[in-house]
Amino acid sequence: MNKIKIGLPSKGRLKDESIKLFSSKGLNIRNTNSRNYFFNFEEDPNYDGIFLHAREIIERINDGTLDTGISGLDLLMELPDEYQNNIKILKKLNFGFADLVVAVTNDWLDVQNIADLEEVSFEFKEKYNRRMRVATKYPKLTENFLLSRGVTEFKIVGSLGATESYPFTGSAELITDITSTGSTLKENNLRIISDGKILKSSACLFVSKKFKGKELEIFK
Amino acid sequence: MTKALVNKKNKENISKKILNIFKKKGFNFIDLDIVIDTDLLTQRSGEAFKKYALNFKDQSGKEISLRPDLTIATAIQYIQRKKRGTEKLSYFGSAFRLNKKGDLKVFDQIGCEVINSKSSPEYLVLSTILPVFKKLKKQQIILNDIGLFKNLVNSLNLPQRWKLRLIRHYSRKEYFDDLLNRLDTNYDLDNEKIKIDYNRLEDLKKMDGNKIIGGRTVTEIIERFEKKIKDPRDNFNGSRSVKIIKDFLKIKIPLKKSAGAIKKFIEINDLKIKNLNQFLLKLNNLSKKLGTKQDTIFDAKFGRETQYYTGLAFSICKQNKELARGGEYNNLIKTLGGKQTPAFGAAINLNQII
Repeated sequence: MNKIKIGLPSKGRLKDESIKLFSSKGLNIRNTNSRNYFFNFEEDPNYDGIFLHAREIIERINDGTLDTGISGLDLLMELPDEYQNNIKILKKLNFGFADLVVAVTNDWLDVQNIADLEEVSFEFKEKYNRRMRVATKYPKLTENFLLSRGVTEFKIVGSLGATESYPFTGSAELITDITSTGSTLKENNLRIISDGKILKSSACLFVSKKFKGKELEIFK
Repeated sequence: MTKALVNKKNKENISKKILNIFKKKGFNFIDLDIVIDTDLLTQRSGEAFKKYALNFKDQSGKEISLRPDLTIATAIQYIQRKKRGTEKLSYFGSAFRLNKKGDLKVFDQIGCEVINSKSSPEYLVLSTILPVFKKLKKQQIILNDIGLFKNLVNSLNLPQRWKLRLIRHYSRKEYFDDLLNRLDTNYDLDNEKIKIDYNRLEDLKKMDGNKIIGGRTVTEIIERFEKKIKDPRDNFNGSRSVKIIKDFLKIKIPLKKSAGAIKKFIEINDLKIKNLNQFLLKLNNLSKKLGTKQDTIFDAKFGRETQYYTGLAFSICKQNKELARGGEYNNLIKTLGGKQTPAFGAAINLNQII
């Protein structure tokens, strides 16, 4: 019988919570040392495990290198739609909660909701002859969300990190970002606009649609 | 000869004949660029545009697009030529667009455009296009005036922000319908939040008005906040306006009766529409010029999906197939970086003719 190839997040709370989850199902991780990427379960020899970056786990399930794995819903949803044709969400898990939200500087007190943002974006274009820039690590989700809410006059600025700083460095006028408590946004003088929630995300157990085994039913 | 080759030959022969008709009417042929700077296009219609254009990056990382529309390509060339007088231009080529599934569709088009004309060019364009179809029987013209709809919205008893919203999103049918639903239920501003922001307004007023916050000046933010809270929120009747808009969009009537029907509609709803007589006169004049033999319908919904139409728009159809489409686009050249310039044009869909 082929072993089940499984990927778990390689660091942070996602890694710790994933290990806890498997442990609660009677599957305790065994690997030689903390620098070793590979692992097995002490109680079940039918799994071959690997610790990977959360994004990498989705890529590898998509290309069939992994059968299953834990990663964030936000990461799957940001990828092209064809990924969702290859990957099934077996279960939304009770950790890794975070929302992808639209945030503006606190001082934009005339911008409360998306309808305001829509108006401001048109006014901005008229006044400055350019579109408002939205800094984000999630261009696809951001673009789809804004367009579906009538905000058409914007330009995406890709961000690799410290997105909260963009409105204050002149690199963008507003941002979208993932947040679990909202405290980093607050610390950086940013405010989530009402009806500005793009996605409610959590950790998920993903499985390749090609995987036909029943071993993962314990997680359902 | 293969079927594809026969089709290609047919297309070339028909194109030559059509371009000759255009030439006799004084239209000069121009060769349009196939590739357009994506930034120019998104500057005009925002990020939404990218959904239906085929975009690439060149070696330097600059984004370029295959032309999704030949009218836009013509307008860009008009700007580049820096001509000032009236231009009568014709073209022939393919437009490349993605459908909802992301599949590439190629449209072969022949068109003519009148740019910066001082007189009304709509009949000139129609009378240039129509002879192409003279051998076809039972062809129908569907016609509308987008400008009339915009003035209708402006005449309604609504807060300014709602009027702008309805006009801006008229071309996006699904979102527009969603807006009408929201207007019907008066869902708009959160009064509780406004109270909180009122307190913060005082802090903002103490700042330097020229200070830039998130790309906008403090003065700009304060002015918009004050304008917003003065704009009526609860004391307007959204439902009545929604009913008027929905009823107006149902008007579909032979062109010769349209001016009378629109006038009656306006009177019944007790509206005062700016320049109404000019709109009605234009419809009556066109009706007379096209004559009674031509089957022409006024349809208040027609043409809204073409974002750059600002006034009269028309389509020539036969049995639900669109053979040609055209309209007025007075803002397009400005949004592409040129001066405010009136323009009117139409394109024949060769794929439907062959």
